[in-house]
Amino acid sequence: MKVRVDPELCQGHTLCNMIAPDVFELDEIDGHSSVVNENVPAEEEARVAEAVTSCPERAISAF
Amino acid sequence: MSEDERERNRYHFDRHTPEYRRRFASITQEMHARCPIAWSDAYDGHWVAAGNQEVFELARRADLLSNDHDVKGERRGYRGITIPTPEAFGRAGFLEMDPPEQRHYRQALNPYLSPAAVGRWLPFVDEVTRACLDERIEEGRIDFVDDLANVVPAVLTLAMMGIPLKKWTTYNEPVHAAVYTPPDSPDSPRIAHLHMEMVMDLISELEQIRADPRPGLIDALVRADIGGRPPVFEDLVGSLVLIIGGGFDTTTALTAHALEWLSEHPGQRARLSRERDALLDSATEEFLRFFTPAPGDGRTFSADCEIAGTRFKEGERLWLSWAMANRDATVFPEPDTLDLARTGNRHSSFGLGIHRCIGSNVARAVFKRMLLQVLDRLPGYRCEPGGAVPYDTIGVINGMRHLPATFTPGPRLGPGLDETLDALQRVCDEQRLAEPVTVRKSAAKIER
Repeated sequence: MKVRVDPELCQGHTLCNMIAPDVFELDEIDGHSSVVNENVPAEEEARVAEAVTSCPERAISAF
Repeated sequence: MSEDERERNRYHFDRHTPEYRRRFASITQEMHARCPIAWSDAYDGHWVAAGNQEVFELARRADLLSNDHDVKGERRGYRGITIPTPEAFGRAGFLEMDPPEQRHYRQALNPYLSPAAVGRWLPFVDEVTRACLDERIEEGRIDFVDDLANVVPAVLTLAMMGIPLKKWTTYNEPVHAAVYTPPDSPDSPRIAHLHMEMVMDLISELEQIRADPRPGLIDALVRADIGGRPPVFEDLVGSLVLIIGGGFDTTTALTAHALEWLSEHPGQRARLSRERDALLDSATEEFLRFFTPAPGDGRTFSADCEIAGTRFKEGERLWLSWAMANRDATVFPEPDTLDLARTGNRHSSFGLGIHRCIGSNVARAVFKRMLLQVLDRLPGYRCEPGGAVPYDTIGVINGMRHLPATFTPGPRLGPGLDETLDALQRVCDEQRLAEPVTVRKSAAKIER
């Protein structure tokens, strides 16, 4: 599984980082999210799926 | 054309009536079923988005929807985010602006309000919370609004702004009362007077900080670069009043409703306390979804357009109901049930799109820290039956004026609130806690 955060859509709600802190990191200045590594380890897949369905801006895609 | 669209979706919606608070769940269900985008004739007519998908699609179209409040009639005469337009107030700072101006304000404030920036304040929040509880812990009785949920958000907001902490009482009553006091109340002139005194104090702080820099949100705005120009004075004051309004009443509302619900569901409260590592985040998001402290925002269409299957005309007004979008069964199974472990909780309680609540990280942090200390120190508290006083209406804030509770008394852990605020003021000054995260990285160090 791979995961991406669309920087045009992310508004810094931070739920993804709460759910999967090892996958999503937040910018120190504006709190917007980016992925640490777009390749998702198997043990993180469920958390990433939950982050996808929790993002209020629907900014995260897993594929 | 648009007249037909209005006729097809006509629904009498007036969120300022007590009936809307009483019948919120059933009105929401009815609107979701009949008209997820409705036309209401109330307040000179406006659209209301109640469906989750409709709110989502509309809220993110800042290219077609404007937040602008053109108080002086210099642009297109739009009337901002409040419906009806309040007479007494000017422009609500950067929340009633469009990009690029709005973006400049937010960029100035972000390094004070990001998760990393807010994390530095947690020891401060814990200490204020500790003092609030110590004031009541030996008595076995507390008003969760007056004695806790009003105090901590107010003190922290002032600290982050760079305003002396001991002034919190000057700011506290007018901010909350301006929301819950209807214009025709006999108390209205007194509240208006208190509010004016607060704004005068704010302006005095602003001018002091302009002349003699002191770290915090005021300093950030005074020295902000708004597209090559300094901020306009009215927009500075409007933005500061916005920060105070956003920082105070909303977090108070969330905390009060959550504490009342947990008192009514002691089994869930015990579970949350026991499984806090797993549940605190999801429970917080669920309290946010379920109670939606700030129930919505207005917009103005800035062009003729079709969104979510409805055609709109330039100049028409729209109410985006975050609260009703949060109860949409197509997104939230059993939407009227509060589930502390809810998954897929993409609520819109902090808004959606470019105007996402800039204080969302502060709100979450303060709420969680207050909740945890209550669970630890007042684990079996009981809200007094009939004692809770919710706001009469939920048109502006889904808030509470009082929430008295009783509990088994316990020992104090430290000094009371006044002494604690004196000590914390020294910490703020000496450690320059209100600097942005770009300047100061480490958390507050508090010794007692």
